[in-house]
Amino acid sequence: MFKKNTNILLIIKKNIYTCSLVNHKNYKMMWKSIANSKDHLISTNLKTIKSMESKFTIYCSQRRLMRNAIILRTIMFSVMMLGAFGFAHAQTVTGKVTDANEVPLTGVNVLLKNTSTGTITDFDGQYQLQIGGQTSPSLIFSSLGYETKEVSVAGKTIINVTLNESASALDEVVITALGIKKESKKLGYAVESVQVEDLQSSRTNNVGSSLVGKVAGLDISPPSSGAGASNKIRLRGQSSFAGADNAPLIVINGLPMDQGNRGADMINGNTRDRGDNLSNLNPDDIESMTVLKGATAAALYGSRAANGAIIITTKSGAKSQGIGVELISSSTTNTVLDFTNFQTEYGQGTNGQRPATQGQAAGTGQFSWGEKHDGVPTVQFDGVLRPYSALGKNRIKEFYRTGSAMTNSIALSGGGANGSFRTSFSHTQAKGIDPINEYRRKIVNLGLNQNITEKLSLSLNINYTHENNDNPPQVGQQGQGAPNFLYRMSQTIPTSAFRESNYNPETTTERQTSGFQGTLINPYYLYDRIFYLDTRDRFLGTATLRYEFNDWLYAQGRINYDFSTSFNERNNPTGVGTNNPLNNAQTGFGGSYDVENGTGTDLNADFLLGTNKEFGDFSVDFSVGGNIYKTKDRNVSAGARDFIIRDLYSIGNGVANVQDLGFARTQVNSLYAFADLGYKNILFLNATARNDWYSVLNPDLNSYFYPSVGGSFIFSELIDSSWLTYGKLRATYADVGSANGVNAFSGILNYSLNNNAFDGQKLGGIAGNVSPNPFLTPFSVSEQEIGLELRMFRSRVNLDVAVYEKTTTDQIINVDLTQTSGYESTPQNLGSLRNRGVEFILDVTPVQTDNFTWNSAFNAAFNESEVLKLSPASDQFLVAEYGGNEFLGRLYYQVGMPLNQLAARTYLRDAQGRIQVDNNGNVLATSPSDYKYFGSALPKWTGGWTNNFTYKNLSLLIHTDFKAGGYVISSTALNGLRQGLTQESLVGRDGSAPILDAVIQGTDTPAPAPTNLASYYAGFRNNQIGDPFIFKSDFIKLRTIALTYDMSGILRDQNSFVKKLTLSAAIRNVAILYKDIPNLDPEAFASSGDTRVGYEQTTLPTTRDFTFTVNVKF
Amino acid sequence: MKTIKNIIITCCVFMAITGCDKGFEELNTNPYAINDLDPEIIFANTQVTLSFGSWEGEATIAQYFQNAYDLGATSGFQFNENNNNFNQIRWGNYGDPIKNLVQGLENISDDPSKTNLKSMMRIWKALIFMNMVDTHADVPYSEAGRAYLDSNYTPKYDDDAVIYEDLYKEIKEASAALNPTADIVTADLIYNGDVTKWQRMANSLLLRLGMRYSKVNPTKAASIALEAFNAGVMQTNADDCVLFYNDLYTNEMNEISGNNPRFYYLEEPLINRFQLTDDPRSTYISGKYPDPNDVLNTPPDVTLAEQQGFPVGYSDFTAADLPDFPGTKGTGLDYSQPNYFALFSTLAPRFFITNSQTKLLLAEAAFRGWIPGNAQALYVEGIKASMDQYDLYPGGYGAISVTDQDAYIADAEVAYNATDALELINTEYWVSNVNNPLEGWSNFRRSGFPALSPNPYNGGLTGDGFVHRAPYPTQESGSNPDSYTAAGIAIGGDNLTTRVFWDIP
Repeated sequence: MFKKNTNILLIIKKNIYTCSLVNHKNYKMMWKSIANSKDHLISTNLKTIKSMESKFTIYCSQRRLMRNAIILRTIMFSVMMLGAFGFAHAQTVTGKVTDANEVPLTGVNVLLKNTSTGTITDFDGQYQLQIGGQTSPSLIFSSLGYETKEVSVAGKTIINVTLNESASALDEVVITALGIKKESKKLGYAVESVQVEDLQSSRTNNVGSSLVGKVAGLDISPPSSGAGASNKIRLRGQSSFAGADNAPLIVINGLPMDQGNRGADMINGNTRDRGDNLSNLNPDDIESMTVLKGATAAALYGSRAANGAIIITTKSGAKSQGIGVELISSSTTNTVLDFTNFQTEYGQGTNGQRPATQGQAAGTGQFSWGEKHDGVPTVQFDGVLRPYSALGKNRIKEFYRTGSAMTNSIALSGGGANGSFRTSFSHTQAKGIDPINEYRRKIVNLGLNQNITEKLSLSLNINYTHENNDNPPQVGQQGQGAPNFLYRMSQTIPTSAFRESNYNPETTTERQTSGFQGTLINPYYLYDRIFYLDTRDRFLGTATLRYEFNDWLYAQGRINYDFSTSFNERNNPTGVGTNNPLNNAQTGFGGSYDVENGTGTDLNADFLLGTNKEFGDFSVDFSVGGNIYKTKDRNVSAGARDFIIRDLYSIGNGVANVQDLGFARTQVNSLYAFADLGYKNILFLNATARNDWYSVLNPDLNSYFYPSVGGSFIFSELIDSSWLTYGKLRATYADVGSANGVNAFSGILNYSLNNNAFDGQKLGGIAGNVSPNPFLTPFSVSEQEIGLELRMFRSRVNLDVAVYEKTTTDQIINVDLTQTSGYESTPQNLGSLRNRGVEFILDVTPVQTDNFTWNSAFNAAFNESEVLKLSPASDQFLVAEYGGNEFLGRLYYQVGMPLNQLAARTYLRDAQGRIQVDNNGNVLATSPSDYKYFGSALPKWTGGWTNNFTYKNLSLLIHTDFKAGGYVISSTALNGLRQGLTQESLVGRDGSAPILDAVIQGTDTPAPAPTNLASYYAGFRNNQIGDPFIFKSDFIKLRTIALTYDMSGILRDQNSFVKKLTLSAAIRNVAILYKDIPNLDPEAFASSGDTRVGYEQTTLPTTRDFTFTVNVKF
Repeated sequence: MKTIKNIIITCCVFMAITGCDKGFEELNTNPYAINDLDPEIIFANTQVTLSFGSWEGEATIAQYFQNAYDLGATSGFQFNENNNNFNQIRWGNYGDPIKNLVQGLENISDDPSKTNLKSMMRIWKALIFMNMVDTHADVPYSEAGRAYLDSNYTPKYDDDAVIYEDLYKEIKEASAALNPTADIVTADLIYNGDVTKWQRMANSLLLRLGMRYSKVNPTKAASIALEAFNAGVMQTNADDCVLFYNDLYTNEMNEISGNNPRFYYLEEPLINRFQLTDDPRSTYISGKYPDPNDVLNTPPDVTLAEQQGFPVGYSDFTAADLPDFPGTKGTGLDYSQPNYFALFSTLAPRFFITNSQTKLLLAEAAFRGWIPGNAQALYVEGIKASMDQYDLYPGGYGAISVTDQDAYIADAEVAYNATDALELINTEYWVSNVNNPLEGWSNFRRSGFPALSPNPYNGGLTGDGFVHRAPYPTQESGSNPDSYTAAGIAIGGDNLTTRVFWDIP
C-alpha cells in the first residue's frame, strides 16, 4: 500500500492528531520544523522525512500529552496496520522511560531503528514493542525536549531508559510577519504566544477583552459600553500621538487589518461604541495567537504595524485526519456591579430645603442639597407624595438588567492525503445589561489546504461575519444615555417613579424630572422611543499559492480581500428633554431620522520569492517581495430633520432632508527584502529593508525607505550547565515609516454645498474644517530592544526579559488650530515621542507530579513615555478640552513629560500654601490660562498573574491583573459633589466652611461658610478647579477564576464515540482587590480612543460574568 | 505548471518595475468632490453664518436678559463670572465665515468681472471684524483665516485701534468700488445684489464706526460721521440690512426656547423702561407663560402691567429674599420671559444694520453739530423706524400703529429735549437694539446711556462695575498660546473690565 520509502509521521497538535505520509527528501527541514515547534513528534522514520507545510505553533503541554497518549497509541496502531507492517516473529521488548529525576515520561517515541515500527510510552512511561527479523536491532527513544537516545536491544527484553533534556529542541516555531514561520531562537525581538484555551473558557463577546493582563506589554482596556463593545489595545504604550491608529495591527491568516475601532469618542461625535474588528472573530476558530511586540517584529508589515502586530491563525484542519465534528456551547450571564457609595442622609432639594411644590420637585431632581431624610411624605416631580427617604439608592441595579450571551458553534474538519479543511459556524446572541441593547453575531469560517501538485499548494481562508448591534448604549456624555441620568439624580426619587411617570400628557413630551431638563434625560422615556440599529457584514478572504521550484527556492503569491458593508438606521425621537414637541422654528416635530450605508474594501496583494540554503555551519534565508495595499470606502447617508408627521420614521417625512456621499481611496505600494544568517545553532542575524510609497502624500514626498537589523545569541549552546536548559540573548533595531493619520485627499481644498437651499439660493463653502496640508512627509517609528530568555531547571523556571526604547519622530498630528485661523485643525509633521519600557515574564512550575501540576505565570510591563518635541512654536499641545459644555479639565501633550497629561486649574494659594477664597467663601482658582498638570492618564505598569492548577482531569485557573501609575479626571465625582450626591458633599452642610484651612484672599481671616453649597461647588466646575476630582486609575483585579473538567480520558476508557468532552465554568471580574477612584470601577470608561483617555464621564456599570462552556468532539 | 510559474515571475517583475507610485496623484483626488465653487454661493453662505452673539452674552451684559440660575456652566456675565461658555460664542463662530470670505476674495482677486461681489465681501468682512473688536478688543485680523493660504496657524492679534483704521479703509474703498453697471450679485440674500442699498449700508456702517470714536477722538468721529452722511446712508427701513429666516434656516440665537426655557428672564431695567414709557414694543419682546418651562405651546400674556423684570445682580435663590419677589411658578419663576412667538422666535429676522440705528446715530451727530440736520427729527424718525421693524416679526401681533408710535414719542420720558438729548437718544438706541444686543451694549459703553446700575454680584466688578469686554476663549491658550498671551498683555489684561480702545471712562 505504501511505497517503499514512504514514512509515517504522527504529530500531536493540541488535540488534533495528524498523520502524514511524507516522501523522501528534505528530512532536515521537516525535522527542524517539527522538533522546534512545540508539537510532539510521535513516530518518525528518521531516515527519510521530508518537508511538510502544516502549521506547528501550538504549545502542547506534557499533561495534555498524557491525556492523549492512549488514543494516540490507538491511532498509531491503526496506522501501522494500514501500513501493513508485519510483526510476524514477535520478540517483545518492554521497559520504562524516565527523565533524569526518574519521573516517568509519557509519549516518548520508541522506534525500531531502520524500520517504521514503533510505539510510544504510556502514562507510567511504560512501553511495549514487538520486534523481530532485524539483525542487531536497536531502539531509538525520542521525545520533544529531550535528547534522542539509541539503545541496542542485544537480546534484552527489558530496556529502561533515562532521557536527558535537550536545549535546542525546546525552541518553538513562531509565525512572524508575512506568515513566515521562524524558529524563535533566530529572532532578535520579543514575541509572545497566547494560551488560546483561555480565550474559550473565559470567553467574552469580543476576543480582545479576554486578553487583559495576559501578555506582557499588551495593555487592553475594555470600555464599559455595551454587549458589542470595542477594546482599547495598546502594545508597549501609546506609540504615537492621538490621531494615528495606535492599536497593533491584526493579522488574520496573513490578512492585515486595522483594529477598526468604532468606539465611543465624543471628540468624533460618537457616543455609542459599535465594536471593532476583533469582534468578527469566533474564539473557537482560533488556532494560535502570537503577539509580535514593537516595531521590529512587524517591520515587514510596514507602517501599519508600527505598533506591533497580533498574528492570528484560524484552524484549517489537518491532513490525513478523517472527519471530525466539534460542538461548543457556551452561556454567559452578566450581573451588574454597583460601586456607588452615595450619601443617603440628605434628600432632594436645594439650599437645605426639600421641594414644597410639584414644580419645585421637577426643577430640582438633580440636587440632593435638601433636608435630612426623615420619611415624611414629600411631593415629587410627578406630583406624588412619597416618603422623604433614599428610595432610589439601588437605581443602578434596578435599571440595568442581567445581561446574557449564548454562543453555539459547530465545526467540521477533516483531511486527506493531499489536503485538509475545517469549516465552522457559530452563533452568538447577547443581551446587554442596558435594557434595549442586543447583539447578535453569526460567523462562518472556512480553512482549506490543498497540495495541487507536488510543488504547488493552495491555502484558502474565508471568514464571513454578520453582526447586528441593536442600540449600543450612549455613554460618556451629558444628555442622552442612561448612565448620565442614573449616576446624577437624587436618590430620594425611586426608580419606579421615573419609569411610571416618564411621559407628560399635557406637553406630550418627556416629563420634566430635573432642572437640567435638556441634559438629564429620563431613560424610560427615551428607551421606549429611540432606536439605533447597526448591521454589519464582513467578508475576509485569503488565498495563498505557493510553489516550490526546488528544495531551496520557493515563490508565494497571496491575495487578501476584506470587504465590509454596514447599514445603520437611527432616530432621535420627538419630545426628549423638553416640554416642547415642536422644533424651534415651530415648523415640525423635533427630532431626526437617519440611514447610512457604508462599504469598505481592503485589498492586499503580495508576493514573496524565498530561498534557504545551508553551507556547512552557515545557513542563509533570503527573500524579496512586494505588496500592494488598497483601500476604498464609500458611505451614503440620508436623513430627515424634524418631522411633518409625528413618530413616523421615514426619510420623506422630514421638514428638511440631508444626504451625503463620503468617499475615500488610498494605496500603499511596497517592496522589501529580508535575510537571515545563521551560524551553527548559536548565532543568528536578521536584516530587513523596505520601501513604501503612500498615495495620500504629495508625490514628491511620498516615498520612505526603512531598515531593521537584529540578532540572537544562543549562549546556552556554549555552556554546559545542569540547570540552564536554554539561554538566549537578543537585540534588534528597526525603523518603520508611516503615513498613519493622513486621510485620503487631505492635501486638497474642496468645497461643499449645503443640503438645503436658502429660499431657493444654494449655499456652500469650503468643505470641512481641516486645513489641507500638502507638505506632509512620512514619519518614522524606530525601536531598539534587547532581551534575555532563560529556561532553567528543565524548563520549570522560564524567564523572558525585554528592554526597549521606541521613538516616534515627526509624527503627523492633527493639530487643533485657533478658530481665528479659519480652520479647526490641520495635519502637521511635528510630534516626537519616546516610549521606554521593560517587559518581564516569569513562568514557573513549582509542582509537577503525575496527577498534579501547578503552573504560575507572571507578567509585568513598565512603560514610560516622554514627549520629545512638538511644534517649533510651542512645547505644549492641547489634545482635548473636557471643560466647556462637558465638565472639567484638559488633556495635553507637554514636552519633557509623559504623554497625555491631565490638566486643570487649581486652587489659588497664598505664600503659605493656604487656599484662597473670596469674601463670600467661594474658592478662587488660578488664572484661566494657568492649567496645572496632575499626571499622565496612561498607566505605567500593566500586567497579570495566572495560576493554573491541574489535578488529573480537573484544572483551575486563577487570573489576576493590574494597572498602575495613571490618573483619571472623574466627572462623576464632580457632579456628585456639586449635586450633593457623594459622601464628600456632606462636609459643610452643618454651616462650616468646606475647606478648613482656607482663608479670604490676602488675609488671615478664615474662610466663611458659603451661603449655598450648590453654587459653591458649581464654582469648582466654572473655574475648572480639578484638585478634588483627580484620582489614580490604578487597580488590581481578581479577573478570572475558571474551572475546567476534561472527560476525554473517561470517554476513551469507555470507548465512547465521543472523543472529547470538556466542561468549564468561569467567573470574570470576580473582585477588585485595590482601587482609588470612588463610586466607580476604574475600568468604567466610555472611550477606547486616545483623545478622551483619562476622562471619566459616566458609562455603563461594569459586570461580573459567569460563563459555562461545553465542548464536545466526535 | 509552467503557466503558474510564469504568472508568479511576472507578478514579481511587475511589482518591481511599477511598484513605485504611478497613478497615485490621480488616485489621491476625490472624484465626487467639488473643486471650485461660485464665490457668490460662498458669499451668500457667510451672510447666514455670521455670528450674532447670544442672549447669555452681550444681551445679559446690556441688562436686557438673564439666566437666573447659578449652576456653574450657566453662570456668566449675570453673576460677573468670567465663564468661557459665553466668552467664546462669537469667537467660536467667526472662523468659518472669515475663512470663506478670505478664500473667496483670494479666488476672485484678479477677476475684474467680480467688482461688486468683491466689494460686498469686503464690507461684510468688515462688519464681522467690527463685531469682533467691539466684543474682545484686539483680535487676529490681518492674519486671520489664512491657515490654508499662508500656512499661518497661529495668527497674531492686531491692535484694536489699528483694525478699526483698516476697517475704515476697507469700507470706504469697497463702498466706492461698488458700481451699478458692474456684476449683479443675485445670490446676495439681503439686498439681492442692489448696489445702491449696499452703498447705503456701507455708509451706515461707516457712520457707526465713526461714532465709536466720539469719546476717544471726537474730531475723528465728527469727520467720519460727516463723510458717511455725505456719501449717503440708509434712508428708510427698506434699506435695513436684515436677514429673514425660513423653515430650513433659523435664527439660532433664539434656540434657547428648546431646553430649559425656565432659566431665562428679561431684566428689570428693560421691563421698567417699557412700563415707564408704555412702550408698545414690549408686546413683541416680553411675556408671561402659564408654565415658564413650557413656552412654545401657548403665546404668553403680554399685558405690560403684568410684566416684571428679573432684578440685576440676583439669582433665583437670592431674588427670593426680595420684597417684590413674585414667587415661583411651575418649575420656574414668575418673572417676565422672552416672547418666543415674536422677537425671540427662531423665525424672527435678524437686523444687522438698520435705518433706526442710523437715524439715532445721526441724531446724536446732528446734536453735536457734526453733521447738518435736525436732531429731534432724526430722533423721532429713529424711534419710528425701530417700531416699524416690529411688523416684520412673526407672532401675528401686526404693526405698531402710528397712533401708538406718536403716543410713545409724546410720552414725557421719551419726548425730545435738548438738555437730555444725548441721554434720550442713546437710551432709545438701547431700547431699539434689544434685537441687536451687541450694538446695544457697544453703544452703552460708548455713550454711557442709559443710566444702568452696575451688577453688584460677587462684590461687583472693578472700575465702573460693568463688563466692558468678553475675555478671549480659554481654548486660545491651548491653540494659539503665544499670540494669546501677547494680546492679553497688550490690552492690559484679559478680563471682563478691560476696555476696547474706543471705550474710555
